[in-house]
Amino acid sequence: MTAIVEVRDLAREYRMGDERVPALRGVTFTVHQPEYVAIVGPSGCGKSTLLNLLGVIDRPTSGTVSIAGERVDQLDDARATEFRLRRIGFVFQRFYLLQALSARENVELPLAEAGMSTRERRARALELLEYVGLGRRERHRPSQLSGGEQQRVAIARALANRPALLLADEPTGELDARTGAEMIALFERLNRDGTTIVVVTHDEDLARAAKRVIHMRDGTIVDDVRVDPADRRVEPVGLAPEPHER
Amino acid sequence: MRVNHRFVCLLLLAVAVRGAPAQQTPRSIARGVPQDAPRSITIDSRLAADASLHVGDRVVVAAGTGEPGDTVVIAAITQRRADPAEIARGEYRVRLHLGQLQSLLGYGDRVDRFAIATPSAGATADAVARINASAFGFQAHRSADVAVETSKTFAVVSRFHRAIGTITIVASAIFLLCIMLLKVDERRRDVAALRLIGCTERTIVGSVVLEAAAIAVLGSLFGVVVGGTASFLVNRHYQAVYRTPLRFSIVTGDIVLLAVALALVLGIVAGWLAARRLVRTPPLALFGR
Repeated sequence: MTAIVEVRDLAREYRMGDERVPALRGVTFTVHQPEYVAIVGPSGCGKSTLLNLLGVIDRPTSGTVSIAGERVDQLDDARATEFRLRRIGFVFQRFYLLQALSARENVELPLAEAGMSTRERRARALELLEYVGLGRRERHRPSQLSGGEQQRVAIARALANRPALLLADEPTGELDARTGAEMIALFERLNRDGTTIVVVTHDEDLARAAKRVIHMRDGTIVDDVRVDPADRRVEPVGLAPEPHER
Repeated sequence: MRVNHRFVCLLLLAVAVRGAPAQQTPRSIARGVPQDAPRSITIDSRLAADASLHVGDRVVVAAGTGEPGDTVVIAAITQRRADPAEIARGEYRVRLHLGQLQSLLGYGDRVDRFAIATPSAGATADAVARINASAFGFQAHRSADVAVETSKTFAVVSRFHRAIGTITIVASAIFLLCIMLLKVDERRRDVAALRLIGCTERTIVGSVVLEAAAIAVLGSLFGVVVGGTASFLVNRHYQAVYRTPLRFSIVTGDIVLLAVALALVLGIVAGWLAARRLVRTPPLALFGR
């Protein structure tokens, strides 16, 4: 299997006046294609910091991050932006769609930024909206869509440039239970179709749907288990000292 | 022919307009004019409206109420000129034959001022020089100089207007900049999301500036429409109040161009400053993390 994410001894400290607050302390793990990884843990455990570092929107204090074979931990702002455009898809808790644009135009945005022709990006956007089940709502503005539909548009946007890695930050956080379940099914389908996914969540159902769950606490990985959906058994991966049953 | 039975005031004169029986022979004050042919006068539209006079009406002009006068016929009703110097003047304007006017005033042959037409600017200068050199008791001026002299008050008023306009524009610019900063700041999370999906600073700044420019142009055009409407209403109101064709407020093409250009520049500058401020903030900070 191809390694999509390789994290080695990753540490991140924040300065609070004279004090240094460690958010990550020497995290190491690898994500292969096409894994579906959920990062879980209590608030303040460092999972969002880890996601920011994987998303090349923050720089580590020490350690390395490689995505799709490229070191990304020291990229400058312009190169990090370009890397995010081509190789990473982001899904946010609050969707962050542009209200002035239609669903299709929102999906077209990263394609236009990547320099794709109008005809090609329109076709690609429609293909993606069909994929997430919104083919008939391409002209609707975000305000005319439900929360679940907006999140589907956001997922289509994240997949626009065929990223090596899809990062999601609490993607079901703003959705009700039924819509959340639909979203979980969509993530499973994405993963079945070959998308590598890393999701940070408090949602137990979403975490259970992942093939692998990384538990974090106090800036370190305390558990890394592979989930067997058939019998709900979990198998230890890497750092996990003991097998865990879920 | 209808005859009027009312009294009106005329310049410094009290001119009695009284009923003149059709069979009465009006007294002429001009030589060479048949006794039975009344002389003509012109009155302005204000007098015509107030006294319900019409072209062809016969009236009697006299130095005072009840005094004997001459029956004349109204030959024309003139419109007032659009002269700012005249808007606050309430008197009526009547044009009489010179002899008739002298008779009413009780003055002899006396001229205060007269105009000389010249074929060219050079001839004007020459005429002015010659008159001023030779004519005792007269002072010749070019009509353009007289116009400048009499419009000095309006030049001062115009400067005041310009100063008020400049202050308004400066205040508007500051207001627009603050609004733009606030509006763009409302989009900090959108901008953060755009940066995370890989939009460059150039793209984001460009789109914000483009939007700001479009809003500025639309806003300025809306302002021009509002200004034009306000100008129309102001003109209608004051033209009715002062009974003058004078246009008190004019939205000229130059003003429209200035407004649109100024708004465009202000919009672009304000949008650029606001967008630069946002894109220079790290996306995580924009997300509030």
